[in-house]
Amino acid sequence: MQIWVNYLDQILIYASLALSLNLLLGYAGQVSVAHAAFGAVGGYTLGYLVTAHNVPMIYCVFIGFGFAFVAGGLIALVAMRLSTEYLILLTLAWGYVLLGVFSTIPALGGSFGIISINAEPHLLSFFGWSMQRPTDWLVPIIGLVSVTYAICWRLGESPFGRILKGVREDPVATQSLGKNTFRSQILVFAISSGLAAVAGVFNAGWLGVSTPGVFGFTFSLTVFALVIFGGMANFAGSMLGALVLTSLDPFLRRVIKFDQSKAFLVQVIIYGLLLVILTRVRPQGLIPEGSTIRSILRRKKSEGRTEMINASETAPTFAARAAVAEVSQNNRHTRWEKAEIVLEARGISKSFGGIVAADNLDFVLKRGTITALVGPNGAGKTTVFNLLTGTIAPDSGTVKLLGHDVTGRSLDSSARSGMVRSFQDVRLFQRLTCLDNVLLGVQDQPGEKIRSLFANPRLVSAKEKETHEQAMKWLSFVGMQDFADVPAVSLSYGQTKLVSLARVLSTEAEVLLLDEPASGIDVKWVDNMLELVLAISAEGRTVCIVEHNLRVVRDLADHSYFMELGRITAEGTVDELTSSPRLAQAYFGTV
Amino acid sequence: MLAISIGREIFAQLTMNGIFRGASYGLIGVGFALILGVTGRFHFAYGFTYTLAAYLAYTFHFRGTPFGPFSDGFPFIVSGLMAVLVTIVVGVAIEKYVYRPIASGAGATALLAVFVAALGIGIAGQSTIALLWSQQSQGFYDKDQFVKKAGWHIWKVTFENLDVFQFITSLTLIIVFSIVLTKTSLGRQMKATRVNPDLATVIGINANRIYLICFGIGSGFVAVSAFWYGLQYSVNPDMGARPVTTAFVVAFLAGTASSPVRIFMTGIVLSLLEQWSSMFIQTRWTQTLVFVILFGYLINKSAKGTIFSKRIISIVTLQGIRG
Repeated sequence: MQIWVNYLDQILIYASLALSLNLLLGYAGQVSVAHAAFGAVGGYTLGYLVTAHNVPMIYCVFIGFGFAFVAGGLIALVAMRLSTEYLILLTLAWGYVLLGVFSTIPALGGSFGIISINAEPHLLSFFGWSMQRPTDWLVPIIGLVSVTYAICWRLGESPFGRILKGVREDPVATQSLGKNTFRSQILVFAISSGLAAVAGVFNAGWLGVSTPGVFGFTFSLTVFALVIFGGMANFAGSMLGALVLTSLDPFLRRVIKFDQSKAFLVQVIIYGLLLVILTRVRPQGLIPEGSTIRSILRRKKSEGRTEMINASETAPTFAARAAVAEVSQNNRHTRWEKAEIVLEARGISKSFGGIVAADNLDFVLKRGTITALVGPNGAGKTTVFNLLTGTIAPDSGTVKLLGHDVTGRSLDSSARSGMVRSFQDVRLFQRLTCLDNVLLGVQDQPGEKIRSLFANPRLVSAKEKETHEQAMKWLSFVGMQDFADVPAVSLSYGQTKLVSLARVLSTEAEVLLLDEPASGIDVKWVDNMLELVLAISAEGRTVCIVEHNLRVVRDLADHSYFMELGRITAEGTVDELTSSPRLAQAYFGTV
Repeated sequence: MLAISIGREIFAQLTMNGIFRGASYGLIGVGFALILGVTGRFHFAYGFTYTLAAYLAYTFHFRGTPFGPFSDGFPFIVSGLMAVLVTIVVGVAIEKYVYRPIASGAGATALLAVFVAALGIGIAGQSTIALLWSQQSQGFYDKDQFVKKAGWHIWKVTFENLDVFQFITSLTLIIVFSIVLTKTSLGRQMKATRVNPDLATVIGINANRIYLICFGIGSGFVAVSAFWYGLQYSVNPDMGARPVTTAFVVAFLAGTASSPVRIFMTGIVLSLLEQWSSMFIQTRWTQTLVFVILFGYLINKSAKGTIFSKRIISIVTLQGIRG
């Protein structure tokens, strides 16, 4: 009986480590091969405080969490801008350094580690519940897993988790929607590490020892394997993975009667082979992202559905669209002259080494109008968007948005102050559904703050409902409502342009900078796109487009700026611009 | 006066150790950098191929075939060459039958998928070795007495003839490989594939073939290194972890697109730092030093271009912050 309960304890401890690693690896996309090293922080905290200072375990849980939280946050600072291969190396090195340092400190038992943690049983107790036998440990360990699951689930399956997934798919696009990716990345690393340390405290207490071997590289790899095996970004998968893989040991030892060391080796071989086979056959793991055990048993295949929709791909139908009156070019330009200035750029310059990308640019965007930046390739049109939104900081000049100076603000902060851009290369979040893509655009979601997630759940869920309605509204506006549950990766190019427009619109930003909204899409879709952009400006939003297609510009723009080699050389209506032989030559080459 | 001369002796000894050990870090580092740089595969099972090579050499020499003329084991040199060859085949097979299918199925997440598979091969392979042989160390030496271990002395510095052999083979391989890389068509194809595999394919380079060749060369290098290491010390299932992890660090510090000579020199410098540091800190800390250096490098890399690093640079170079 005790033996089997002991196995159950082990499964649950592994499961809690797998849960917190999955939050980091699956949701945030940060590869850490040293999760058990954070467990060691907890294990050694317990070992040292219990044996040397007689501190009860309950305090060690919080102290261990604190240490690992800080350590994880610091690692995240370094990890922030590193690509995956460097991140693997960084965490690998972190594991070696930490355990290397621990095993050189005499107070921590040197290379032998801390043994006989359970020498004073009264310290290993919670509220008078003393833990000596495996059955005594079961209740607190169930508590550990439940709390870990609750925290990870709350963080992962919430607006906060959506930001994490956004960062995983495309950090720059996430920032362009006004999300503070820096904060989320640091926090998730810190919390995940803290939770690992708590599991480490329990592991050390339950084993009665905390040694470099216990929390070594093999342990980290096992936890890593559990997460991959169970399925990334799926907590039920991590639980199942821990259950299946950790049960191998009792199976090999009790059923097949291997001795301990042989059972261990065979178990590791099976882990390894499973990883290889799994990445080949079922790379998404036992339970893929977004699935539940039940949905898999029902064999509801979402792939089949995607194919069906793709097969019936047609230009979207437009429901409830504001009719846009045909306005002649001249009328439009008069309207432009009267309109209120929303964004004003003065003397913007930027050079990269000797290349002048922007030379003393002056221009304005006005409320309810569409302004176009036209010019030949390499004129610096997209650079203007980068400079306005803070993707690149200008060398000189000022940008005023509604009277406030926003020069050199970061991408996310300029988005929050009401200026949002789209990208020439679209940059949808590939593995997220269309709805999730648009949901990420919605501003002021309380669920993005960890404090309100836990302190104010009612507000969060009420707001989440509103957010969904808002996102669906914009998805329907572009005619993509039927694709809400389809992952962006299976859309056609034209469809991704529509979803990216919905994503930009859902930010409700005052100023929209659209980078080639109609380029590269099928001719039959172009009219739809034009209608959409006109409808947006009719709503009173300020739109600026970069576009090559002069027909698109003629149909849309109230005012145009002509750019050549980083300078604005002319402005006016499209007809005015195209009637100038010099500009036509600059644009088309010799006519 | 006495203290200084002892210090000088120790310094010379540590320098010698550093150069010898650094040569093997460098050789493995070049192999890893070649694989990661050209093929983009984070070949984490590299440590396993290292261990495998040493065990194969040991087994060929001590066990040989079950019957026939080699039932007492193959001659020493033949065993070594066979071990290197088999390791090359294993490395190439891993790329061809595991990494390539996984990478082509995984698309944008290929790096992680391949890493996971490599991890799987690594841990399964190492445990299989432990299961088939034993978890204990095995003594590996030339029982034909063709290559006899001998201690050599120059001035007051002691080392083994095997150190010198190891160093010479490593250096020769690096020089030959450098020449191949710069002077031959194959080398240019490798470099082209490293810069842009798709474009390389367009101009008629068979990128898949280049990948296999890279895995072959990398596995060969690691096998040679493992062979000498096993001969000098012993073979055991964990032997791959330490040198190969250090070689990862070497490859990243030097840059995976750097020239072989530069990576090799980085290996030697890192090894020298590791050895010299033992004059100032306790030996048990020196093992950690490599990773501390890596930390410093990664922090610098991560902070590059941020305001923080600009400040540091401006403080260091005594300049004002521009803009």
